[in-house]
Amino acid sequence: MRKLAFVSLLILTFVIAGCSGNASGTQEYPKKNIEIVAPASPGGGWDLTARSLEKVLTDEKLVKENINVVNKPGGGGEVGWKYLKSKDAHTLAVNSSLVLTNNLLGQSELTYKQFTPIATLATEWQALAVPADSKYKSATEFMEAVKKDPSKVKIGVGPGLGNDDHLSIVQAASEYDINPSKLNFLVYQGGGDVVTALLGGHVDAVTTSLSEVKDQHLAGKLRILAVSSDKPVEGLEDVPTWKEEGIDLVFPHWRGIMGPPDMTEEEIAYWDKKLSKMVETEQWKKVLENNDWEGFYKNSEETKKFMKEQHDLYQRLVKESGLVK
Amino acid sequence: MDISSFLDGLSIAVQPINILWIILGGFLGTIVGMLPGLGPATAVAVLIPVTFGMNPVSAIILMAAIYYGAMYGGSRSSILLNTPGDGSAIAATFDGYPMAKKGQAGEALAISAVASFIGGLMAVVGFIFLAEPLANFALKFGPAEYFLLMLLTLSAIVALSIGRMIKGFLAMMVGLALSTVGIDTQTGVYRFTMGIPHLSEGIDFLIVIIGVYAIGEVLYNFLNIDKQKKEKKKVGKVWFSKEQWKRSKWPILRSGPLGFIIGVLPGAGGSIASMISYTSEKQISKRTEEFGEGAVEGLAAPESSNNAASVGAMIPLLTMGIPGSGTTAVMLGALIMLGLRPGPLLFEQQPETAWALINSMFIGNLALVIINIAMVGLLVKILDTPAKVLYPIIVLLAFIGTYTLSYSVIDFFLLLIFGLFGLMMKVMDIPIAPLVLALIVGTDMEQNFRMAVLSSNGSLGVFFSSGVSIGLVILTMLSLCYPLILKLAKRKKNMSEDEDQVYKSS
Repeated sequence: MRKLAFVSLLILTFVIAGCSGNASGTQEYPKKNIEIVAPASPGGGWDLTARSLEKVLTDEKLVKENINVVNKPGGGGEVGWKYLKSKDAHTLAVNSSLVLTNNLLGQSELTYKQFTPIATLATEWQALAVPADSKYKSATEFMEAVKKDPSKVKIGVGPGLGNDDHLSIVQAASEYDINPSKLNFLVYQGGGDVVTALLGGHVDAVTTSLSEVKDQHLAGKLRILAVSSDKPVEGLEDVPTWKEEGIDLVFPHWRGIMGPPDMTEEEIAYWDKKLSKMVETEQWKKVLENNDWEGFYKNSEETKKFMKEQHDLYQRLVKESGLVK
Repeated sequence: MDISSFLDGLSIAVQPINILWIILGGFLGTIVGMLPGLGPATAVAVLIPVTFGMNPVSAIILMAAIYYGAMYGGSRSSILLNTPGDGSAIAATFDGYPMAKKGQAGEALAISAVASFIGGLMAVVGFIFLAEPLANFALKFGPAEYFLLMLLTLSAIVALSIGRMIKGFLAMMVGLALSTVGIDTQTGVYRFTMGIPHLSEGIDFLIVIIGVYAIGEVLYNFLNIDKQKKEKKKVGKVWFSKEQWKRSKWPILRSGPLGFIIGVLPGAGGSIASMISYTSEKQISKRTEEFGEGAVEGLAAPESSNNAASVGAMIPLLTMGIPGSGTTAVMLGALIMLGLRPGPLLFEQQPETAWALINSMFIGNLALVIINIAMVGLLVKILDTPAKVLYPIIVLLAFIGTYTLSYSVIDFFLLLIFGLFGLMMKVMDIPIAPLVLALIVGTDMEQNFRMAVLSSNGSLGVFFSSGVSIGLVILTMLSLCYPLILKLAKRKKNMSEDEDQVYKSS
């Protein structure tokens, strides 16, 4: 009986959810509820980005229409973005550099050009970290050792080659005249496993998002040698940037949002207006702070240009990394 | 341990609102744990929007309660329907379901709740005193050690397949083969995905569990639905006997700490913990031959172990900010959103939060054992439900559970394929557990093996390079040779009996 009640409740929920999608008329965009696609399972980074957007846009009364977050996990974003491609301008999707690299690595037919850039929202920075008692005291010392014999230095990365964690160090190596395809990577399941491996001394260094290692650094359990930001990160003033170490590299791990192909000028302008306001709200700033993200807002036009630059950079890095012949 | 922080934490945990969250979370966890496919990770994820408005401390207490609540619930459907709700409840089918078939469903449900309670309690005490050293111990586990731990888990297949060893190994090979589907993390190569992007992340073992167990069981019963006896099934008492307690007491006390330690290792978790404690109890028991036929200790041991593991999994999360399981990974994401960042600074900067959680686990386990024992009387009624009502409900739940895993209809086809596969295995009397077990550990085992060999530049010596790894190798060897030892012992016994007879007759 109890189960029956549970099931009928579920069905009722689906029916209600199904009905609430309709609303029509000749008024301006948006004409109906907004859907934000998180191309991942609940709880991950993309999901949290989508849910934060939903919450801030609703709480601050920036968007009057209902906003629903839909999870479409699979294929490193592929499933969710394919879904987005089939929808109208009332559906948007969260993205990151995977929208570029999936295609460059030959894992997807989709290219960034098939979507409408809406905005770049936030960024994290990449960090290179070593154990607290490591013999490498600085990023240049580390790179020097790698240059001497790349096979001797084990670098932990996760969850897969071709992501920003991996490519940021590929770029650093390339700037330092090291052949990045010679680097010795051990690939772990995720960012957490990489940090455990470093703390346990199973790898010589790791490349990961700054947030994964920030607290460990502050607690003195490991040492961050360099961050990929343009200026020192707040709260971590003792950690130099790659630039300060003499290696010309700024590597954002950005998150943004995009729409289906062929959105109109009017629709794009709507989001430029709303999102530029949203990033100024206190609540959004709190979201950034809690996640250790940094504001990185670019409107649709700027994002379009940025994506092109990023695409060219990634194309070069993927080639140099030896992942694609 | 810091007494004043402990008391601060206690005073937060006993606030009425938090006690309410604990009970609510525990109850919800029990329910989702029971339903095949809906697990704690899904439940926590679905609750994320709810926790947005909550105080971070209440949120972490609620989410943890769901997590260990699911460990209590998972075995309910294993015992009653031979359908584990989650990977960590598989071991409960080995003896729990036979007990229910023998008319001891009530006893089985009661002992498993009590075993979970004791295991959980021991783990919380362990947490208070041993969090720091255990976290450091877990760090010693490199790729080689993980590989050996997975190998030890797989060696359980030998004990599970006695009498039908070839079939057991066949099932294991199929499981290992299935685990290779998806993107290979070391090289980024796609394996056996057949161009379907959905398969690039591999085949979720939960779909296989739901398929071979739930759908397979329904199909199997469908074969002889007309032959089923109409008489009312016996459900037994709602409490276990003194004799049953005496048999389970030591297995429970041994499995708790074992499960706790395995739970601390990131990536190991409840499935491995319950499997290792089941096989080790089977191996040291004097009643080995009763295991698999409804031995009460064969149910109590894994139940104690998986609940202890769920508490242990909180240690890397709280002390290092590293999620040790799927559920803790979702929890970490949600907590960061709330501005609470578990990690090395948590015990320094917000000790009361950490201690509130630890204390809440005491209260939660107490509440859960009461909830679960109170529900025994209600749950055994499931056995009285006519098959034509029960089975459609199971199938419906299986489909809902599968959909929540990745919101994709491709999984439905996988579910049906594995359902048929499960039916085939049951008809041919091939043990199912080796298949599922191999699929659960297969991917990690392969990746860790390759990482270990990569990091040692190809030398296999890395598998004998530390005390932990040598210990694991020895345990694996013992576990593998154990049927041989058993046979030898039997032969010796028979021989001495023969001699006796010869002596008497002469």
